[in-house]
Amino acid sequence: MTATPTHAPAATGDTPEWPPLLDVDGLTVRFQLRDAVVHAVTDLRLAIRPGELLAVVGESGCGKSVLAHALLGLLPGNATVTGRARLHTAAGAVDLLGCGERHLARHVRGRAVGLIPQSPATALTPVRTGRRLLTETLRAHGHSRAAASDAAVRLAADVGLEPADLDRYPHELSGGMAQRLVTALALAPDPPLLLADEPTTGLDRPLVDHTLDLLRRRCDTGAAVLLITHDLAAARRVADTVAVMYASRVVEHAPADALFTAPAHPYAAALLDALPDRAFRPVPGHPPMLTDLPAGCAFAPRCGHRTDACHTQPDLARVATSRVACHHRIGAPT
Amino acid sequence: MSDAGLAARQVTVSYGRQRVLDGVDLHIAPGETVGLRGPSGSGKSTLARVLALLHTPEGGHVSIDGVPIRGARHRVPAAVRTRVAILFQSPRAATDPRLSLADIVAEPLRATGVPAPAVRARTTELADLVGLTPDLLGRRPHAVSDGQLQRACLARALVHRPDYLICDEATAMLDASTQAHVAAVITAYQREHTAGVLLITHDTALMSRWASRGVDLAARPASPARPGSADHRDRALSRRS
Amino acid sequence: MTDLAAPSRLRRPRRPVPRTGRAGVAVAAVVLAGAVAACLLAPVLWPLDQSAVELGAIRLAPSGEHPAGTDDLGRDVLHRSLYGLRISLLVGAIAALVATVIGGCVGAVAGTVGGWVDRALMRVVDTIAALPHLLLGIFVVAMLRPSLGAVILSIGLTHWLSTARIVRSELLSLRTRPFIDAAISGGASRARVLTRHLLPHVLPRLALATTLMVPHAVWHETALSFLGLGLPPHLASLGNMINDGQRSLLTGAWWASLTPGLVLIVVTLALATLTGRWRDRLDPRVRAELNL
Repeated sequence: MTATPTHAPAATGDTPEWPPLLDVDGLTVRFQLRDAVVHAVTDLRLAIRPGELLAVVGESGCGKSVLAHALLGLLPGNATVTGRARLHTAAGAVDLLGCGERHLARHVRGRAVGLIPQSPATALTPVRTGRRLLTETLRAHGHSRAAASDAAVRLAADVGLEPADLDRYPHELSGGMAQRLVTALALAPDPPLLLADEPTTGLDRPLVDHTLDLLRRRCDTGAAVLLITHDLAAARRVADTVAVMYASRVVEHAPADALFTAPAHPYAAALLDALPDRAFRPVPGHPPMLTDLPAGCAFAPRCGHRTDACHTQPDLARVATSRVACHHRIGAPT
Repeated sequence: MSDAGLAARQVTVSYGRQRVLDGVDLHIAPGETVGLRGPSGSGKSTLARVLALLHTPEGGHVSIDGVPIRGARHRVPAAVRTRVAILFQSPRAATDPRLSLADIVAEPLRATGVPAPAVRARTTELADLVGLTPDLLGRRPHAVSDGQLQRACLARALVHRPDYLICDEATAMLDASTQAHVAAVITAYQREHTAGVLLITHDTALMSRWASRGVDLAARPASPARPGSADHRDRALSRRS
Repeated sequence: MTDLAAPSRLRRPRRPVPRTGRAGVAVAAVVLAGAVAACLLAPVLWPLDQSAVELGAIRLAPSGEHPAGTDDLGRDVLHRSLYGLRISLLVGAIAALVATVIGGCVGAVAGTVGGWVDRALMRVVDTIAALPHLLLGIFVVAMLRPSLGAVILSIGLTHWLSTARIVRSELLSLRTRPFIDAAISGGASRARVLTRHLLPHVLPRLALATTLMVPHAVWHETALSFLGLGLPPHLASLGNMINDGQRSLLTGAWWASLTPGLVLIVVTLALATLTGRWRDRLDPRVRAELNL
């Protein structure tokens, strides 16, 4: 953790000596369908500091991917986004949700905030080789022609691509190679904040570890990474803090060690129990539809600790170093 | 070795000039779960397709309970084909986007001429088994999550009560809870029907928890492939890291 | 739709660029509906004697009585343009259907049988495609007598190539998809895989290819008639009229070919606009947008 912006106010009260790089408050995303409203993200509060790797984990369809797209203004037209997401950069603070498309396109996407997309096949221009894509990106961010081509090779090596692979067109790349190429493209402008949306899909174990370590190294040099993943093992390997999402809400946000050793939310505990090296027992019941969420705590119907109190939505309350949204958190004095 | 089981004997497969499998032997006995490990590009998925009777090997053959199978796909009689089921990594690619989940599960039954009432009964039974609610059964793939869709694929794979089930990275895209659920359903089915399961996964924790024994598919020997080929690179990298 | 994690539905700009404006589509729909209605109702409301001439009224400029003027045989240009459109659309539609049936069959055989059959068929397609298709069309008509049937056959026989390619490539890419593997593994026969899993995916594309071909076929018919090789000269087709009109053009009677030309352009443009919109809807990325 080398970079420490001094101008940013400590908005969340988390360890004031490390002001947040991104401070999301009350982020809510709704999709209007013909006959229903999708509650994709509800009242989400997160802060991520320079040098921090925050992993957002949860079942597929819990809304975690929408989070990344909302921050970059990449949601389709039928989405309504409310709340605040302040990004503090050297140029000052800006609200990603309110600054408008033009500002996002010119100053945020790819520059202040990089994105490693979920499906590389659709994210790459099919008529350019990897080398051209990379050098174009580098030149757009101020590298000279000569420096760009050297930097392209260096970046490719970082993500595990050999120079020869750079001369292939996207359709000639295997899924894993395409994934590494989009990773290199996202890293090229050296953004202070990187959103990685399932960056290890389609990679085998050694490459998963390689990619995760790459993200970890970025954090160790002062950048911040928001890692969105369904893979708890990946989160445990590299994350500093982990936010568990369930049915559009963050139910527990805790330091990785605390979460993996002593989860406080019953859902987090149940999810960890499903890991093959633990009880290998699925979370009972089914996740609710985001179009039809129950009133109060959305996990209550599946929860063994359920009481009448669960009919009201619990706050994401501060507990030691964590935040937990549960009336009956595990380990709480009764 | 007893005859019972799904076996690959000296299976060799090439794509163009690239040899993917070279004289591979594998045996899956009824009731056991064989975990298949191997670096990327070692031909795990190809072996899965050969064993699922979806790809004809150039050399060697697959046998079921000691009976060698000639050819693959439609050259194998439907009654034999349906004894081996396969579950793919991506449920989205493995389902017809036009069909509802109920139709996806029922399709193999209809394809083999099972009468409609029996189809309905079996579909309901399997939907229960894999945990798909009637509401979900009426939807099409684009309206459900990957986890829900993979449950439908699992129901479809079990619909003919196969003797062997091949899981090709079938839970890699799923969250921990759905993965545990899919594993539990398969294990219960396996116990009831003494079915053999081939489990292909790169997740060592999952492998050691689920498989009764592990088999390593060695990286294939030096092939006349282009030196810059994707698989070659992947292997080189995996050795380095 | 809980599967909000699916990338294809999210990686889109906030405001998708409209490929064809709503207003344009509405105008095209109205134009086409009007044209089709006029064609259907014309024989009832405003019958035409195809061979009638009125030599006392040749090359009259547009006026109240003849809104589009008359040609060098004194025939009302607007009246005949309407009947010309009727024939052109009919020929275009039937010819497009013929081409689709031929192309669909060739493509289906090549795409499902594969192997040397595929290679042989595709070489045939390449060979025919290498010849100028208007020339080929002229050759076909020349073998037969100029008639409605000859023109339809001429267009049908020269326009199936792209359809065959579309069907073949769709089938080839579908065949390797895991859901086809799953169907085979589940015991589906060859016929069932083809009818239940492959064709339903190809049919929308095929229908689209057919519709896209109609304007093309109309133009082709017009071109043949213009060259004097299409429909019998007394028949009011757009091509015949434009051809006849060029004789009047030299005498300053510009209106004789203007109206049939405009009708041709406006109606085929409307048709192309609507099919273009339909193609956009078939595109999965755009379709996903409509679903979410």
